[in-house]
Amino acid sequence: MNRIEFGQGGCETTRKYLDSYISNELLVETNHEILRHVESCSACAAELETRTRLRARLKSAVNGQNVPPELQVRIREQIRRSESGWAGFAWLHAGWPRWAGAMAAAVVVLGFGLWVTLPGERMPALTDRPAQNAYIQRISTSLAAVLKVGLGDHIHCSIFRKYPKNPPAPEKMESDLGPAYKGLLPVVRAAVPDDYQVVMAHQCSYLGRKFIHLTFEKDGRLLSLVMARKQAGESLEGLAPSVASDGIPIYQSAAGRYRVAGFEAGNFFAYVVSDLKDRSNLQIAAHVAPTVRQFLMNAPV
Amino acid sequence: MLFSKRPRTDEFEAAAMPHMNDIYRTASRLLGQGTGADDVVQDVYLQAWKSFDRFEPGTNCRAWLFKILFHSLNHYRRKWLNIRMVRESEELLELAPAAEPSLPEHITDEEMIAALAEVPQDFRAVVLLIDVEEFSYKDAAGILNVPIGTVMSRLSRGRKVLREKLAGVAASYGIGGPCQEGKSA
Repeated sequence: MNRIEFGQGGCETTRKYLDSYISNELLVETNHEILRHVESCSACAAELETRTRLRARLKSAVNGQNVPPELQVRIREQIRRSESGWAGFAWLHAGWPRWAGAMAAAVVVLGFGLWVTLPGERMPALTDRPAQNAYIQRISTSLAAVLKVGLGDHIHCSIFRKYPKNPPAPEKMESDLGPAYKGLLPVVRAAVPDDYQVVMAHQCSYLGRKFIHLTFEKDGRLLSLVMARKQAGESLEGLAPSVASDGIPIYQSAAGRYRVAGFEAGNFFAYVVSDLKDRSNLQIAAHVAPTVRQFLMNAPV
Repeated sequence: MLFSKRPRTDEFEAAAMPHMNDIYRTASRLLGQGTGADDVVQDVYLQAWKSFDRFEPGTNCRAWLFKILFHSLNHYRRKWLNIRMVRESEELLELAPAAEPSLPEHITDEEMIAALAEVPQDFRAVVLLIDVEEFSYKDAAGILNVPIGTVMSRLSRGRKVLREKLAGVAASYGIGGPCQEGKSA
């Protein structure tokens, strides 16, 4: 920090140190010198105002841009993938012979080299529909078929098709949901924690099936409430429930980094899908289940 | 102790992920949107994740990520853009406008971003770090690996060039020209 003595020629000295003043990089005493000068000099006051305004406008213009959600997803996936690769070597902690450790180290180094050299598994391009479907199929192999329904629409619609940068007005979302389902918006909004912002609400379709879909966002993480009518023979009842909320069994499973919690609501399945931790996803599902079920039970056939 | 530490995914995500927007914006403004910012940001986070065991909790994670960002940006430019890294010379100071041009009252975000893109890259980096990301001169100097004096001069020149570019916008609106007051027809 610099202390500057202002004497004669205050304008020249003030202009010289105005940038550091705006960046708050001067000593308090020097700040006072500048303020004292600016109070008595309208030209320097105007210059200070202009420079301050320029800085504020620049900050606001640049901050209008956010990281694309699919990039966040891709990065989180790569980190978790590299973590699970690392965990596979946990046995090396426990006093294996030195040569075995060295050999494993060589394997790690080789594998790491390949990981760096070869292109990683990336999220398919937004326009590559077959690759997207293959991606969804690949990561949901461990999931019961009836839970895949919800996961597929979440990834297809919220991740690949993206939610709008600026969430639409509530009236637009109500219109996109249609008259039969627009009432869901306040019901779900009240059940999801306040710090989740609703960024999309509409009807959509994936693999020939229709969905009612609400997407929430918090700190770059997406959470979907996906609802679809049951098809013949489909039921969640063969699965082991994870929890019950007001007597409604909720079935949760993991697929890759995603958590899918499903429950039945009359003729519908409802799913809460996110990349939150098990407990957080399940808690939100448990919160929304009673009111969503009540709403869907009264939905038109 | 190659395998003595387990990766701390939760810790890493809590410390590093909240800064992804800042890292992405800076990368975009320095490379131009759609020209590799995604790859650079991805590289930054994977590099950070790999070396997270060397990061000391409680120190400035954001500054650490930005330091990795500028390392990755230099690498990316050399590898993909075939750009010879020409350091803007000190003489550019002379090219900066001596007078302080007026600033238009209404500047759109697009105009501001377009003007910023015309600021030489070394200057733009400092303007972004200080004015947008609000780093101190000392932190910016550490991130860019240059002396504080260099940060100060680049910031001053960067702000001036930006203002000159915006004054061009003002002039196109008919603002900021020679004063006509008092002139008779």
